[in-house]
Amino acid sequence: MSEILPWITLVVCASAALARLPSAVRGVNPTLFLIFLLATAAGILSIEQFYMAIDGALGGINIAHVLLRLIVFATIYLIAVRVTKGFGAPDAHRMISGRPGLAMLAIFTAALVTVFLLMEPAASSVRFREAGAVSARNEALLPYYWAAARGYLAYVSLALLPALLRSVRESLPPLVRTGAALMAAGAVATVAGLCLEFAPLQLLVVAPAVNNGAVVFYTSGLVLVWMARVKAANRGGHGTSSTGR
Amino acid sequence: MPLPAKAFQRWLNGVAPDTSTAVICRVSGVKRTTLAQQLVRGKVAETTVVSISRAYDINPVAALATFDTYSDLVSSSLPPSDRELVSQIATVDLLRAVIVRTAPTGSAGTGSTGSGSTGSGSTGTGPPELSPPPHATSVKNWVDAIDDGELRHRVSAATGVAPQNYSAQLTANRLAPELAVATSRAAGVGLAGGLVATGLVTEAESGWPPGARQAALDRLSDGDLAALAGERLQALGKALRRQEQDQEQTERIWENLV
Repeated sequence: MSEILPWITLVVCASAALARLPSAVRGVNPTLFLIFLLATAAGILSIEQFYMAIDGALGGINIAHVLLRLIVFATIYLIAVRVTKGFGAPDAHRMISGRPGLAMLAIFTAALVTVFLLMEPAASSVRFREAGAVSARNEALLPYYWAAARGYLAYVSLALLPALLRSVRESLPPLVRTGAALMAAGAVATVAGLCLEFAPLQLLVVAPAVNNGAVVFYTSGLVLVWMARVKAANRGGHGTSSTGR
Repeated sequence: MPLPAKAFQRWLNGVAPDTSTAVICRVSGVKRTTLAQQLVRGKVAETTVVSISRAYDINPVAALATFDTYSDLVSSSLPPSDRELVSQIATVDLLRAVIVRTAPTGSAGTGSTGSGSTGSGSTGTGPPELSPPPHATSVKNWVDAIDDGELRHRVSAATGVAPQNYSAQLTANRLAPELAVATSRAAGVGLAGGLVATGLVTEAESGWPPGARQAALDRLSDGDLAALAGERLQALGKALRRQEQDQEQTERIWENLV
């Protein structure tokens, strides 16, 4: 079961990136394509076979995992910037791309890299699974590594959540509201993912579902908003710059 | 809420005996699939009865009155009040009346006659015809016209419809026929008025005398007319501004997320 989840996530993200390619080539909001592309890269690095190959090329000491976490940081940062601008949430926008937001990004990035460097090198293992088994020090440091990795995502998601929930209730096109609701679900799942790091072991079985769910929710939310635009344009609505022709 | 299919079948038998559903649908313009669906569900929409009555030259209000829910529709023949009548005049027509009354004679389009009618507003050749109801905000304007401040509560208590659902219908310029009649009942006005405001039946079908709206408009003093037009304009401005904001917001979403 937990082997297939990353594949589902990868397919969702890769399809979105592929679908977004023509618009990006035309120069329409290339950031969105970049978001899906980064999500796809993260999806690839979450699958064992690919991870082993890529990490092997990087020295086989799990540098690929740090890379994966940084890619995820970049993805959620870009999503958050777009969403706060699009849904008109200047406060949330400042909390993410303003000085406090960038400070948070720097702190979590530094923490992540530092903890990784403090750990003893461990042989490649997807999701950093076996790193804790190498030594007692690694075992002790691993929770901090994950706290840093998930902490920034949870911070951004919490900042986004009010704006997303507000948009669900506003009089926007139904597909946009559904998209906002899905992204809100993604934000909740992201925060839940952080909480699960500190949860008792019995709860850990749901962690893969929650973490992959977060990615799928965020991605499909973005896709739905895009669908709303396509629908509006097809109805002969306003501004058809991204579709048609 | 709509009419029970059994009662409808009985009524239909009286109206068009020995006529196939196919013929009835063709004559009345009701879609066959729609009617079939309504019959299967056991609930026939009031619009269906109205369309069929019109096709068979029956007064739709009288036809509705043969159903239990609407049995008091005909027996009450209270004439519409002036406030009701004026509420069913479109905002544009009100504004035109303001212009006709305030413009110096000559620029209103009629030169020689009608200068003697002070304040009545009817210029020589007669005013341009009022567009028939319903207009863009006719339902809300009608309820406001008969509301004594407690009307919504009374309707809600009588029908069990939550006030916010009721308000939502008014804002969307809709009102279920049963609710429209219940509203009239609660306000103590002619029962068919709400059916006119929602556009289910015409003024004439509901028994409003021809020209009644124009007459009520003419009876409005200049001050009342100007104030009323002002209220309507303000409401229109608010609605438009809200629309523009929604539009702006949607555009911003497209720009950033699409």
